[in-house]
Amino acid sequence: MVFLRSEEHLGRWLDRNGWEPGATMSAATLNELARLWWWTRVEPDWRPRTPSESQAILGELGLTGDFWRLT
Amino acid sequence: MDEVDLRIRNHLYGSFVADGRTRTAAETAAALGLGEEEVADAYRRLHDGHALVLHPGTTEIRMLNPFSAVETPHRVEADGRSWFANCAWDALGIPAALHTDGSVSSACPDCGEPLELELRDGELVHGADLLVHFVVPARQWWDDIAFT
Repeated sequence: MVFLRSEEHLGRWLDRNGWEPGATMSAATLNELARLWWWTRVEPDWRPRTPSESQAILGELGLTGDFWRLT
Repeated sequence: MDEVDLRIRNHLYGSFVADGRTRTAAETAAALGLGEEEVADAYRRLHDGHALVLHPGTTEIRMLNPFSAVETPHRVEADGRSWFANCAWDALGIPAALHTDGSVSSACPDCGEPLELELRDGELVHGADLLVHFVVPARQWWDDIAFT
């Protein structure tokens, strides 16, 4: 996933590549997600999350529905 | 994931954070007193378990997510060092994983203009209103993680 300047730039980029729109959020929301998702990643007591734990993180930010279903 | 795989995984992350360099299976085997083939098998299991990403058909590490071992369009400054991230999400994930402030330099894929983001105390103080787009639905993220 990529950063884009605006909706206008996003629309042009999708059109040029022939891609259907997926999901868009602000960088601020992605930052919240990144903190929840990656916070423990380099810690020695890291353990893999279960799919349901990962799904719960997405849900915590309102990222629900078919697009966000992990399994 | 068994304890040996976790030990190898922790060694890889610890080493990468320390000096920004991935380790071959032979180097990890020597460092941990394990057999090279045993470590190579563990690398493949860690890849299959999405704990790291190997270059296709090899045991060469491409990603220790959120870190990229190869150059990408997403450069991150954090903890006094420069890193490459695999994507926008990982770019913001590097300061999060290191529990530190940081900045991200990327570019808009539409117009090529540089995009700069700055994180302070966990908040985006610059670039918060930029957009992020996910093309691939979540259940397909790992079908081609480099594209995702």
